[in-house]
Amino acid sequence: MFNIKQKRLGVAVALMAVFSTAALAQKSGGTYVFVLHPEPPSLAPHLSTSGPIGQVAPKVYQGLLDYDEDFNPVPELAESFDVSPDGLTVTFNLQRNVTWHDGRPFTSADVRFSVMDVLKKFHPRGPNSFREVYEIQTPDEHTAIFKLEKAAPYMMKALSSYESPMVPKHLLEGTDIRDNEITNKPVGTGPFKFVEWKKGQYIRLDKNENYWKPGLPRLDRVVARIIPDASTRTAAMENGEVFYGAFDAIQPVDVIRLRDIDGIGVTTKGYASINPMSLIEFNTQKAPFNQAAIRNAVSLVVDRQFMIDNIWYGYGKKAVSALSSRFASAGLHAATGNYPAEPNVAAAVKLLDDAGYAPDDNGVRARAVLDVIPYGEQWRRAGEYLKQALAEVGIALDLRYEDVPTWLNRVYNEYDYQINLNYFYQLPDPVIGVHRHYGTDQIRKGTPFVNGTRYSDAGLDALLASGASEPDAKKRGEIYEQIQNKLDADMPVMNLFEMEFVIVYNEKLKEFTFSGMGPYSSFDRTWLDQ
Amino acid sequence: MNQTVKRFRYAMKRLAQAVPIVLAIIVINFFLLHLAEGDAAVALAGEAGSATPEYMAQLRQKFGLDKPLPVQLGIYLKNVLVFDLGFSFRHNMPVAELVFDRFMPTLLLMVSTILIAVGFGVLLGLLAASGLNTWRDTFISVFALVTYATPLFWVGLMMIILFALNLGLFPTSGMENFAAFHEGWDRVKDIAHHLVMPTITLSLFYLALYTRLMRSSMLEQAGMDYVTTARAKGLTERRIVFGHILRNALLPVVTMAGVQVGALIGGSVIVESVFAWPGLGMLAFEALFSRDLNLLLGIFLLSALLVIAINLVVDIIYSFLDPRIEVG
Repeated sequence: MFNIKQKRLGVAVALMAVFSTAALAQKSGGTYVFVLHPEPPSLAPHLSTSGPIGQVAPKVYQGLLDYDEDFNPVPELAESFDVSPDGLTVTFNLQRNVTWHDGRPFTSADVRFSVMDVLKKFHPRGPNSFREVYEIQTPDEHTAIFKLEKAAPYMMKALSSYESPMVPKHLLEGTDIRDNEITNKPVGTGPFKFVEWKKGQYIRLDKNENYWKPGLPRLDRVVARIIPDASTRTAAMENGEVFYGAFDAIQPVDVIRLRDIDGIGVTTKGYASINPMSLIEFNTQKAPFNQAAIRNAVSLVVDRQFMIDNIWYGYGKKAVSALSSRFASAGLHAATGNYPAEPNVAAAVKLLDDAGYAPDDNGVRARAVLDVIPYGEQWRRAGEYLKQALAEVGIALDLRYEDVPTWLNRVYNEYDYQINLNYFYQLPDPVIGVHRHYGTDQIRKGTPFVNGTRYSDAGLDALLASGASEPDAKKRGEIYEQIQNKLDADMPVMNLFEMEFVIVYNEKLKEFTFSGMGPYSSFDRTWLDQ
Repeated sequence: MNQTVKRFRYAMKRLAQAVPIVLAIIVINFFLLHLAEGDAAVALAGEAGSATPEYMAQLRQKFGLDKPLPVQLGIYLKNVLVFDLGFSFRHNMPVAELVFDRFMPTLLLMVSTILIAVGFGVLLGLLAASGLNTWRDTFISVFALVTYATPLFWVGLMMIILFALNLGLFPTSGMENFAAFHEGWDRVKDIAHHLVMPTITLSLFYLALYTRLMRSSMLEQAGMDYVTTARAKGLTERRIVFGHILRNALLPVVTMAGVQVGALIGGSVIVESVFAWPGLGMLAFEALFSRDLNLLLGIFLLSALLVIAINLVVDIIYSFLDPRIEVG
């Protein structure tokens, strides 16, 4: 979808056509309540990528672009953009008549400040997304020109309100960005204004009467309800007290029950931008997984479809390479050999024999402790399955389950693990979501969710670097094919399956899937059928 | 010296004794909590799902986690002396504000639970003891045993299914109706409506305890010499039970209630979680998993103060219930 030819996006015509006054009359008003779990740490999307923040903040803040389900850009605060042929200059033409919730106009100065002074410095992923941006020129109030050191095709996919929100310069400049009042009381340009956050209870947003999109938003109020207990969340959904629950708000076992109830729907749409992948990380510096052969053997033995069908109730798609098949539309996906269609125990045994992992008297070739990601029951079940499956080829696993900080400390700080069950967001582009897992420069002691396997390969590092800055889509595809083959052979990380998160919703709720950002979208077109 | 002055002096003395206890609680908690692996920066970054080394260093510097432990403790103690409980890492706001916000819902749940549990517990215990070995006694004893043995979360969920989903009498959870945002008396009624199920769930457990305690306490007192004396004086059974036995039998119940108020703050995590009640228990529980040590220390401190205060009040109540007990 990304090309270097001049690209001009008109204002979405389809969007305007919807607003016949007749339709407006029926579709406006009402309080939309959704269930949020867990409670967000703050409401500062420019400081944290935490999921619950993402479900609230994009209703208050906006990004330069929005994206459709295939990750094609849709105009948001930027009415159009233009990428120069060498990829080194990106010009954004901003919407006019946009104001912050406190009445001040939104201008190109806000864009420059947001990217250069906030996202590049304080955002967990911003320093990577905007790595190549060295300057933003603002010739007038409605034009922002990004100057890049090298082409950065991935940056164009990181401009949503969740990933790169535009924040108000006039409230942040000259203050401690981390301790500013807007950390908990956001002021944005979006369809809903922040009103109140009662910790442990709810976050309330009210309609922004001066929203720049005519006729929107349709809802009068958005309330995020915080309910800690999973069964109670389900009951609240069943009772019609909440209209929407995303991610793990509703436990899979309840999803199966709720989807058969009249008036409640279930969809897997809306997670394309997150692109979650379940996986196993091997400690490549520690026995027994310090050889590629045993890592490949594990991949050959595990029955991925069994896990999807029996533990995740059918929600998921088998992984066939290091990259998610959701990258296929960008030409960045190719199936590779060590991800078999069916588990192949014989081939795995042969690999282990050849590599010298001889069985002892009990048939055990290797012993290890499997750390299980402490994010819920299903992962424990998956751990139990893996223990059984690997026992078949003589790899004996013990399971370990700790609380989140202890587990993160063990894997990404102490590196005191052998094999770790986990999941990663691959995000809209491999540079943002996948490179952090493999690059030598991503071995960063004490930083979670980077290269915790300590895999390091100069050849791969070179490929990753050229993949990041290759502006030509076809050539970029070829580079990523090599990357996938390399990672298939060495396999420091073994993908299990592309996870399909669900959204459970009350069928009175309409038009909440218009954006590819799903739960992380603005909901400005959403309405309640009352 | 009259009783009132004595009581006042006693209270002052007890308060002075409390100071070193509170200090010790702070120091022990501080080091205990630092034994946990991982820190708030790791927990926050874990929640965010991504981080850079600079981001981690920034967080640690901001939280003061880059300083040596004794220095951190010194800073904390200094702040507590001027009633500053510090800043919550995760919530990005002052601990005092957070704790105070959650204190009222906790108090509401705690007070209504204690009232119902003690009130009905005393009543049921009395009924059981006065009808010893009749069907009434058996029924009450079995009821107490069953409620005591049933897990709280199960009772809570069953109440939600029965009264909220099937009968539609009560809302499933929360403290208020967040779609409506009532004000004034409507809001009071709305909160009371939301309070019913969590209170009953939490009370059932304690109710059983007080019932058993009251029953055995009544039976024990009924065998005392003073009861025989009273009966010999020709007092009516009614007078004996209410004027003599009951008053003495209440002492252990009051002791128990005093001890349990402290436990109730922590013990209500389950009920708060099931009913999404915004209390301190849940706040502490979440703070533990995000290694939000300032917040945890603040909650522990408040709980400790509360327990000390309630123990004092209980001791003073003794002297009212039983004039033989003198404070001093």
